[in-house]
Amino acid sequence: MTGIEILQIWIAAFFTLAIFSFLYRDNAVYKFAEHIFAGLSAGYYVGLIWKSVIIQQLWEPMTRADNPKWYLFIPGIIGALMFARLIPRISWVSRLALAFVMGNTAGVFIISQLHGLILPQMQDTMLPLLNGGFAGSLLAFITVIGVISTLVYFYFSKEHTGALGVTARVGVWFIMISFGAHFGYTVMGRVSLLIGRVYFLYNDWIGSLSHIF
Amino acid sequence: MNFWDKISSLDRRWIYLLVAIAVILPLIFPADFPVRITPEATQLYEAIEALPDSSVVLLTFDYYPSSTAETEPMSFAALHQLFRKDCRVFTMTTIPLGGPSIAERVTRTVAQEYGKQYGIDFVNLGYKANYVAVLKGMGTSIEAIYPTDNSGTPLAQLPMMQNIRNYKDVSFIFAVADNAIVEYWISIVNAQYGTPIGAGVTAVSAPKYYSFVSSGQMTGLLGGMKGAAEYEQLVSKPAIAMKGMGIQSLIHLLIIGLVLVGNIGYFFGKKKGTRGISV
Repeated sequence: MTGIEILQIWIAAFFTLAIFSFLYRDNAVYKFAEHIFAGLSAGYYVGLIWKSVIIQQLWEPMTRADNPKWYLFIPGIIGALMFARLIPRISWVSRLALAFVMGNTAGVFIISQLHGLILPQMQDTMLPLLNGGFAGSLLAFITVIGVISTLVYFYFSKEHTGALGVTARVGVWFIMISFGAHFGYTVMGRVSLLIGRVYFLYNDWIGSLSHIF
Repeated sequence: MNFWDKISSLDRRWIYLLVAIAVILPLIFPADFPVRITPEATQLYEAIEALPDSSVVLLTFDYYPSSTAETEPMSFAALHQLFRKDCRVFTMTTIPLGGPSIAERVTRTVAQEYGKQYGIDFVNLGYKANYVAVLKGMGTSIEAIYPTDNSGTPLAQLPMMQNIRNYKDVSFIFAVADNAIVEYWISIVNAQYGTPIGAGVTAVSAPKYYSFVSSGQMTGLLGGMKGAAEYEQLVSKPAIAMKGMGIQSLIHLLIIGLVLVGNIGYFFGKKKGTRGISV
């Protein structure tokens, strides 16, 4: 382990402990770590976008000697219009760029969401009820009941009373079970992140002491 | 003040301390916990095993450094399997902060172990902004989206990328992600280009992807550190995720205990007309 690597580990350990210190109470060390993180992230992001988008995908293809893509100045100008927001007098100009982004995004997503998510998921829900033995049929039955009752819960055009109310209450149970699964996974996820940080402190940071002393 | 009143007014920092102890103790005194491998993890493993040797696989590093505890072990395990099968791997990321550097570090570490050469056996494409345009554009031409790799070398100069033009030349996409990007890999790439996709995701986002496995839109799924541990076991490379399972189990027991104590405290507190546990 080189001196630079040890220094990196100690800096990372300092910021990890600084962030953890918030668990005791809000303090200046936590604030310092938070601001450093925000500043570094913003600076890194600007540099990365400048290099990978503005230079690599706009400037270089436009200005190269061999087969220059001069037409890229059009998206370049549209992108630049976004900065009009900084000048109140002409801030409305930025809406032209925003309209282009919104229209383009809607066009891409309508097709991909319909073709890639909604239709295949609906198709997979339309199951033959008697299929795959007892277990398969039971699962298909539960799926169909779950889908219908949950959809009914979100049907607000009629008061949830009588048969509609009972179905909606069944739907609530399915939704709650789904929330429970999500919550369980969320707890597991957050615990995993804690394990990762503590493992780093124990293994790398405390482990680096043996290289120092 | 009886026991339940004390529990009701317990400072939450005592719970943080208990959790900290539950994390640190198993690190000092490691204990092995069995990991049951789920059908979704097996499906992903077998899909890659079924690929012909030297197949082209796209491995994505769509995660931030903050979630590496869950996702990075998946990337390591996936690369062990892919390099062992002599697959040609190219990586990319839609995450600006840390994505490119994590991809470089992880691929080069595993590649070294298997004697793989950069540009011939694996390539790191790096980051490009606007994931929708990137995912769609790569269906037409990968080189148009990534004129160079992460280090600035033109793709034309990398032997491995000579015959990889778009998704038609990719046998499998292994997406490791900590956000909703997997949904776009499914809806934009799998739905429109038919390339099979398997994914390793954080535990928080795992539940919603099970329906995609069930519908056949995804070929296998790894959920959180548990999923990573399963894959480490499948590729016979136990590492940090396997170690984490012991700690994970202990903390879960602690949380279950705290939920029980909290509810009992609430019940007794309610009987006495108080609001119950406040932690």
